[in-house]
Amino acid sequence: MRWGMVVDLSKCVRCYACLAACRIEHFLPMGINWPRLVALETGGDSPTVSTYSVRCNQCKDAPCVEVCPTGATTRREDGVVTVDQDKCVGCRYCVVACPYQNRTFLSKDKDQGFFPGRVVTDFEKAGKKLYKHQIGTTEKCNFCAERIDAGLAKGLKPGIDREATPACVNTCPARALTFGDLDDPNSEVSRLIREKKGFQLHPEYNTDPSVYFIDGKIGQSDEPKVDDKADKEPEAIGVGE
Amino acid sequence: MEAHQWMIHYTRQTEWIDRRGIFLWIAFYAGGLGGGLYLVSLYFNSLWGMLISWLIIAVIKGGTHLVYLGKPLRFWRIITRPQTSWLARGFIFVMLFVFFGAIQMALTYWLPGSTAEIVFKVMAGIMAFSVALYTGIILKNIKGVPFWNSTLLPVLFIFCGLLGGFGLAVVIALNGGDINLAAAETGSRWLLLANVLLIGIYLWQASAKENTSKQSVLEQLRGHSAPIFWIGIVLLGIVIPLGIALAGLIMNHMSSIVLVTGVACEIIGGLALRYVVLKAGAYKPLVAKPQ
Repeated sequence: MRWGMVVDLSKCVRCYACLAACRIEHFLPMGINWPRLVALETGGDSPTVSTYSVRCNQCKDAPCVEVCPTGATTRREDGVVTVDQDKCVGCRYCVVACPYQNRTFLSKDKDQGFFPGRVVTDFEKAGKKLYKHQIGTTEKCNFCAERIDAGLAKGLKPGIDREATPACVNTCPARALTFGDLDDPNSEVSRLIREKKGFQLHPEYNTDPSVYFIDGKIGQSDEPKVDDKADKEPEAIGVGE
Repeated sequence: MEAHQWMIHYTRQTEWIDRRGIFLWIAFYAGGLGGGLYLVSLYFNSLWGMLISWLIIAVIKGGTHLVYLGKPLRFWRIITRPQTSWLARGFIFVMLFVFFGAIQMALTYWLPGSTAEIVFKVMAGIMAFSVALYTGIILKNIKGVPFWNSTLLPVLFIFCGLLGGFGLAVVIALNGGDINLAAAETGSRWLLLANVLLIGIYLWQASAKENTSKQSVLEQLRGHSAPIFWIGIVLLGIVIPLGIALAGLIMNHMSSIVLVTGVACEIIGGLALRYVVLKAGAYKPLVAKPQ
């Protein structure tokens, strides 16, 4: 069994519901997001906006697991990569090692509350009890492992029964997200990957991500990408300085 | 920068250099410098050099690395798991160096020439070499940052550490320490040349490898890191020490102030090198932007 997700790029409507659902599910501090929406313009003269809903890829050969010096980051038998915040020492090696930049170090400034210095909402108070986030440790998407585990214990099937399915998948109004068992050739995710030529981000890293994308112009298109142009003179980085 | 734009552009890593990442930068450099100085001190059999290198690794390297951690009180979790990663092994190298080095210095002081002293010198020497080496291996193993993903990087860090070590050996010799000044100066000159060569090869190799590492090189040569590269590494780290070295060769004598200035420049150059390497490390765009 290996849990995986398929993101249908043609269906995503950029509503950010997946981010909101994740924030509510895990009581995420304001400064961090586990999933992210990458919106980019494509199409030159008649531009359209493409969106990638990205999150931790739960890689089969996860660099973050390899580099974790304390064993806080582990890969479960079902393929979900989790972080034990009680073991994490906050060295950030995993954050740097993740080629997809999908890990976040929770520093103090990222957890200042929804209304810093004014009021602590009931939602935040509930979060402190139900889903503790430790400042000084690393966080990332865990495919709602707690939902999967609780659902399986009740005999439910993740990806089919809502109670056992990740919150972002449940909440997506466009049904752009599909969750299921990648090892099961009859699962919906396997069918989508097979029939719609699902692709992973940066397969050249040999990490074998469990998140696939389908129906996107990017990645599946035959047209050359900017990176493929040999004659392109790269600019200096400095983005976000 | 618009939200999430970073995902479709080359982006540099920030965790290991920005804000508290400064501590890691200092820790990485101090590891190289301390390890290099210890090895140089072994060559000269200089107790002063050994003591200073021990202090650099135990206090500066160990201290700043601990301060950098998000949960420093949990550091014991790292040292009990050497099988996990080079970061864990590095912490163990530091602790073993501190242990072996302390015993070795005591033996050198009270029982010089004894078998035990030689054994501990070898063990502490191996650990010093490992401390200087492992930071380069940590960076080399990160596939997501192509600029770091090079076997040359640990070699460069070792040579940079040895250069700093010879520089500090010159300062110890000038202050009447147990080191031959002429030999330290000669070693410093050769290592300076080796470092220049290595930096050149490393940058050339990185720019020829692929687009992202080429971006990293460009970031150093003409991006935001350019002032640190040209002033810190090239001018202070290479040109001035090289000029002093050449002047020393021609004139056969240099004043202490000039020599100490040269060493200070070398150390600033080493710090600048580590800073720029960390600062310019960049990831590929998560999603390739189409035309």
